[in-house]
Amino acid sequence: MSVKAFKLVPAVEREMLMGEKTRINIECIECCGKNLYIGTNDGSIYHFLLEERNSPSEKTSFSVTKQLHKYLSVRKAVGELKAASALNRLLVLCDSTITLVNMMNLEPIPTGARIKGAVTFTLNENPVNGDPFCVEVCIVSVKRRTIQLFLVYEDRVQIVKEVFTQEQPCAVAVDGHYLCLALTTQYIILNYNTGASQDLFPYSSEERRPIVKRIGREEFLLAGPGGLGMFATVDGISQRAPVHWSENVIGAALCFPYVVALDEEFITVHSMLDQQQKQTLAFKDGHILQDFEGKVIVATSKGVYILVPLPLERQIQDLLASHRVEEALVLAKGARRNIPKEKFQVMYKRILQQAGFIQFAQLQFLEAKELFRSGQLDVRELISLYPFLLPASSSFMRSHPPLHEYADLNQLTQGDHEKMAKCKRFLMSYLNEVRSTDVANGYKEDVDTALLKLYAEANHESLLDLLVSENFCLLTDSAAWLEKHKKYFALGLLYHSNGQDAAALQLWIKIVNGDVQDSTRTDLYEYIVDFLTSCSDHELVWKYAEWLLQRNEEIGVHVFTRRPQEEEQENSFNPDDVMSCLNKYPKSLVKYLEFLVLERRIQKEKYHTHLAVLYLEKVLHLKSLETERSEELVDTQAKLQSLLRKSDLYRAYFILDKISGSDLHMECAILYGKLEEHDKALHILVHVLKDFAAAEDYCVWNSENKGIPYRRKLFHMLLMAYLNSSSAERELVMAAVDLLNSHAADFDAALVLQLLPDSWSVQLLSSFLTGAMRESIHAQRMSQIALGLAKTENLIYKHEKVKLKGHTTVLSDRKLCQVCQTPFCEPAFVRYPNGSVVHTHCAANRLVTSNTNHHFSSSSGRT
Amino acid sequence: MKPDGKVVLLGDVNVGKTSLLHRYMERRFQGTVSTVGGAFFLKQWGPHHISLWDTAGREQFHGLGSMYCRGAAAVILTYDVTNFQSVVELEDRFLALTDTANRDCIFAVVGNKVDLTDACACVPEAEDGHLSEKPISSSVPTKVKKQVRMDDAIAFYKKILKYKMMDEKDAPAAEKMCFETSAKSGYMVDQLFETVFDMVVPTILEQKAEGSSQTVDLHNYKTAKNTQPGCCR
Repeated sequence: MSVKAFKLVPAVEREMLMGEKTRINIECIECCGKNLYIGTNDGSIYHFLLEERNSPSEKTSFSVTKQLHKYLSVRKAVGELKAASALNRLLVLCDSTITLVNMMNLEPIPTGARIKGAVTFTLNENPVNGDPFCVEVCIVSVKRRTIQLFLVYEDRVQIVKEVFTQEQPCAVAVDGHYLCLALTTQYIILNYNTGASQDLFPYSSEERRPIVKRIGREEFLLAGPGGLGMFATVDGISQRAPVHWSENVIGAALCFPYVVALDEEFITVHSMLDQQQKQTLAFKDGHILQDFEGKVIVATSKGVYILVPLPLERQIQDLLASHRVEEALVLAKGARRNIPKEKFQVMYKRILQQAGFIQFAQLQFLEAKELFRSGQLDVRELISLYPFLLPASSSFMRSHPPLHEYADLNQLTQGDHEKMAKCKRFLMSYLNEVRSTDVANGYKEDVDTALLKLYAEANHESLLDLLVSENFCLLTDSAAWLEKHKKYFALGLLYHSNGQDAAALQLWIKIVNGDVQDSTRTDLYEYIVDFLTSCSDHELVWKYAEWLLQRNEEIGVHVFTRRPQEEEQENSFNPDDVMSCLNKYPKSLVKYLEFLVLERRIQKEKYHTHLAVLYLEKVLHLKSLETERSEELVDTQAKLQSLLRKSDLYRAYFILDKISGSDLHMECAILYGKLEEHDKALHILVHVLKDFAAAEDYCVWNSENKGIPYRRKLFHMLLMAYLNSSSAERELVMAAVDLLNSHAADFDAALVLQLLPDSWSVQLLSSFLTGAMRESIHAQRMSQIALGLAKTENLIYKHEKVKLKGHTTVLSDRKLCQVCQTPFCEPAFVRYPNGSVVHTHCAANRLVTSNTNHHFSSSSGRT
Repeated sequence: MKPDGKVVLLGDVNVGKTSLLHRYMERRFQGTVSTVGGAFFLKQWGPHHISLWDTAGREQFHGLGSMYCRGAAAVILTYDVTNFQSVVELEDRFLALTDTANRDCIFAVVGNKVDLTDACACVPEAEDGHLSEKPISSSVPTKVKKQVRMDDAIAFYKKILKYKMMDEKDAPAAEKMCFETSAKSGYMVDQLFETVFDMVVPTILEQKAEGSSQTVDLHNYKTAKNTQPGCCR
């Protein structure tokens, strides 16, 4: 529970003072700089020079040399000593009188200035008058209930104020205008300037000696009831919680952040930060405890000792060493104002980091993380705890002195696997959090490599995410680790992210071929296809194309057909090269040709014909099998028909040749259509296939974009095919009637009427006739409108002409040409619509000359 | 750090002042020993820092009470619902200590330990769940009779107002400022402190506004001297 905050070092020992004279006792002490004064009960003052010796073993000791020993004029006890170094004076209270003596030789001053009738006195450490060559002295007077204030100069004293209190005061402390007084039954604050007084709290001066101690600006420390050390400000408010002393405390001193108290047997040390007792030192018979400019001195009646504070850093380290993180941090924060800012920040950061490791070792990961974060820990310190995580190439060295006591995780967890797994999980999440922040700046390689190793070891799914995102994993280190953990797919990704696609592919192909085992991806083949599809290294694509196609023709061909858009524009893959590669793989070849013809729309006869032939061969092959695979047949046939219909590039005769002899009548008809041999085509459709819908359809698609006359011609041919059938089947007649009725607009009605047999009723053809009639009337009306519009337009022009002819143009030799400004010599001239008259040659040049151009264009604009 | 406002808990010994504070600040109930002198916590409430003073109820430390109360923005007077004497003590001994508090000090009257009485809503919190799972054994104290009713607390609150010579209409309503809590189960503890803090904030703001006007601006300080020409002229 305890901290070692102070060390007790003897300063002046018995032999140096009184030797064997046992009745001589120390009554009071004063320390000012290196000067130590001791007042005794036989009216003498000792002056020592106190020098600190810092030996390397951290054992502070003091060398004390006696300067002087002087007896005062009266052989009475020296009550109090106070030095005023600015005046070179020592104030000595003896026999109720304060005398001034020279600080160095202890001689009384010649003027003999003194203050009489003092019970006790104190100096104002926060003086209110601005004179640096005087000190403010406050005394408790021998007069009843009186406090007096003096100004003490080098060789004179001057009373400033006399204040009366409601009870007899027994102790006083001063700060500015405020007196903090221990009266008989209570403590009060008294402003001697305004006279305002403020009760603090009651106590009994009969039961124990009061303590009134100024501890800083406008704040006092008081001995309260029940052994409490109470803090009070001049406003009568307590801003800190009390410290708990023993009941019989004799003296108190302050050495930030500690309050030191003395009782008959112990010196106790409490922290002002958390009010806890931090240290207890056994010290018998002590009767004086005072602090002088940060030096805490205790004395028995025979000897003087110094309480040397240990450096705060050391105290904090001790706390950390005993895993008291909270206290260490409180102390460190409390020390902020006592240590220069830069030094503090460095120290505090280190303490936070150490505290973080302590929490970490206790598996308090949340707390540890927060401490690491606020302490700006170099993450490698943490990583280095885990064996093998830092890459071999890392330049990291653990900080010295070490931040923690652990060699590695094994030692920290004492081989507990569960704990170790927890630590690893923590590091995983921590590294994942910091890797993209500036905490990782400067050693991203180490962080990412460590994270990769952790993921691989734990079989964590984020391994792949790490590798496909931007990462700084070191290749050699990570590769060995991944191989060790059989993460071959991940290893491939690592190669890829290091620009070694060839190595990556080689490895992946091994996995697919089953040469090495890694079940990370069941669809690795497809992954490779995708990878190569977007791979910009074409040599690699060529290298592995064969392998891909061998494995799966249809998917493998994607490397050629699904290349990224931007690459497509460069035409980096020559279709002929691809085709020669694909020759062995018919399915791939079809896919590729489909890609070229249908998707890329390459207008080359070769590809179109090739594709058509491939389709055809397949259809013929399927037909020859005569199995139930009709679905595929239908499918392929549809593709073939669609291609034949839509493309104009293939060699129709060549295909026709191949088809002849088969029963592919529809395809045959399409080919005839392409060859403009509609008679043959329609013959097949009507007479062989008897597919009237297809025949109609044929007329429609064949006449697309070819104008109405062509369309009418086709439909007429179809009608003829229906009607001119030698057999005059009823079926065909019906088809003819339907055709007429549904496509009235696609026929020249006059021609049709001549063809139709007389026996057909009007009713039968009513729909056709109505439609034809409407069409005809519509055409007539449209022509009439056009005619009317044309006539009107003609009239407008006539009007213009008459208007222009109406004016005479007079030409005389005085009239000047508007262009060249010279007279006309010939009767020939040009007249512009705006009336200006120019030479014929000028009119011809008009467009050449810019200024006239402007002139005329503006004038003509007005007309 | 200087707190912006002060809230003081007063009450007789063993009514549970420290336990209430512990429950609120550390979210748990722990048996405490009798407080020596006093203790304090700093609570961040919005932008303000409020110091929470726990005082010692023992007679020995009674004298410190008025110093703790000096400048308090709110005083929480605490009694034990199973002990009528604890209310009497509040009136007899503790009310006078609040003389040093701010003029516009807010008062709250809190009856603690309702978990011990038969008629209370002492639903244990989730964190104490494991306790309630255990079968009720002899270690669980049998319910005791409630000695102080809410009406008594309200009556006492009205006495405070009278003592402070405050008009009931100006002061917060008695019903709002009287609480019955259980530091053990956490019942109503948060409501108590949060209500008090919310009411303290306006007085803090008022003080800050006053405080700023009293600040001396050293940068705009102008010397009135040098109007007289120097001696050389």
